[in-house]
Amino acid sequence: MRHRLFDGAVRTAITLGAVLWVSSPTGAQAPTGAQMKKPREVAGCPSTAAAFHACALAKAKTFNPPRTPDGQPDLQGLWETPMAGGLGNIEGRRGADAESQTPPNSLVVDPANGLIPYHPWAREQKAENVDHYVDPYTHCLPITAPRIMASPRTRQIAQYPGYLTIVNESGGHPFRVVYMDGRPHLPADIKLWRGDSRGRWEGNTLVIETTNLTGLAWFGSGGDFFSDALKITERLTMVDANTIHYAATLDDPKVSSRPWTMAFALERNKEKGYEQMEEGCFESDRDTADLLLTGFKMYTGPRFPK
Amino acid sequence: MELDRATLRKRIRSACLLAAVLCLGSLSGLHATGGAQTTASQSGGLRRTSDGKPDFSGIWQAMNSAAWNIQDHVAEKGVPAGMGVVEGNEIPYRPEALLKKQENFKNRETADPETKCWLPGVPRIMYMPYPFQITQGPTQISILFEYVHAVRNIFIGSSHYPGHIDFWLGDSRGHWEGDTLVVDIEHFNDQTWFDRAGNFHSDALHVIERYTPTGPDHIRYEATIEDPKVFTRPWKMSMLLYRHKEERAQLLEYECFAFP
Repeated sequence: MRHRLFDGAVRTAITLGAVLWVSSPTGAQAPTGAQMKKPREVAGCPSTAAAFHACALAKAKTFNPPRTPDGQPDLQGLWETPMAGGLGNIEGRRGADAESQTPPNSLVVDPANGLIPYHPWAREQKAENVDHYVDPYTHCLPITAPRIMASPRTRQIAQYPGYLTIVNESGGHPFRVVYMDGRPHLPADIKLWRGDSRGRWEGNTLVIETTNLTGLAWFGSGGDFFSDALKITERLTMVDANTIHYAATLDDPKVSSRPWTMAFALERNKEKGYEQMEEGCFESDRDTADLLLTGFKMYTGPRFPK
Repeated sequence: MELDRATLRKRIRSACLLAAVLCLGSLSGLHATGGAQTTASQSGGLRRTSDGKPDFSGIWQAMNSAAWNIQDHVAEKGVPAGMGVVEGNEIPYRPEALLKKQENFKNRETADPETKCWLPGVPRIMYMPYPFQITQGPTQISILFEYVHAVRNIFIGSSHYPGHIDFWLGDSRGHWEGDTLVVDIEHFNDQTWFDRAGNFHSDALHVIERYTPTGPDHIRYEATIEDPKVFTRPWKMSMLLYRHKEERAQLLEYECFAFP
């Protein structure tokens, strides 16, 4: 039952943990899921992002995935992401603590230095976010990809003719309906917290493009943020029967100087009889008031330089 | 003081939920199956899945004013008039419960839990003025709601969790009776109302829903309400659900608690 923790507590722990971590010279308090106590293998690949990324994509080339009756790779089921660990600081310890003795554990696989290619003002703003602003997810605002794919507990992928659904368990069940029928994106003036997703198959890889975002959420509790100009391209490729290689390319010219990519594994939940359970999130939010009392501010989107 | 009591109540509820989740972790039920492929076929004007069940996949919405008042009512500013959805238009309250309902009605603009953006319970979520999308597989039917991105998972042919759990939307277990999907729902909290008019229930609420197709684009939706703590006998709501036929229909968002 390792992931069936009470989510409010988890969110508080992540938020407060992130605060402690940034103020800690060693980063020893960091609760980021990317923190690995022991080397762990996923689908026979190392579980650090960069190594997993290369190894899993190579393995996927020779894996013939199970198929749905209409011949698509069958990605259905319940998936967990211990490698991403709920998404704390995407850049790992190295992002905020270059002196750390621990090995780099960024989830960013491109650029190769593991750092998000933020514009200089945005790099500063990431740090300010963690120090002074409440992660919108703490008060249950909807998350989007890639965070929606890395939050605690499971997400369920179900494929139907013409569309598929991805239903998250934690965070009050943010879900996505991904249309696969070639329809165009929503008109540009319609902005959604979770964005507007369209999917297609490229060989055995499911490619999902998401636009029309509000730009008011964070990528993780580490303060990584984006604008409403963000275009997300996710690529899901089965590596073996119980592992999906997941990569998300984030293209947001208002915030970063070039597109960047993060990667991690989706691992099948094999617990017999597991059902996603209701999570009332906002209904029992009691973290935000406490955080505001400590001087934190509500996050209202990127603070662009004038 | 009032705020403190509210906070305390919230904390107690959260603690109960935590305990329930931890207790139930090892007991969880029977199915965790994703949506299998459903290939629709036409027969008698009804779309059917490959296993012969009516195919409810699609985007639906009630077209009535039950979210404001499930009984017959005239219009008020911002509230459309409507003929009730309660069979016989009478709700059999116990005497003390009727007083509570009348008090709720007086204070409805602030006392309705829906004004706090909380999950509105079942069946209310089915007739909120927002569309919802049904996805259908042989062992699981899911309903995805535009209203606060709520999700109901209806597990087919499985049993309720034992004991009592306070869920906002209950624990839904379905089975088929001919072409009718019957859903039995238990494990509710006592924090939701049936409408803005103050009609309410206790945590002893038991709802039996029946979804019967009356054509390719219409579902007869019935909800039988049992709650011996509040009502003297079971009673029933009945209404139609309409399929959204717009070519580009898709769910958008009503993130109630994200509005400043």
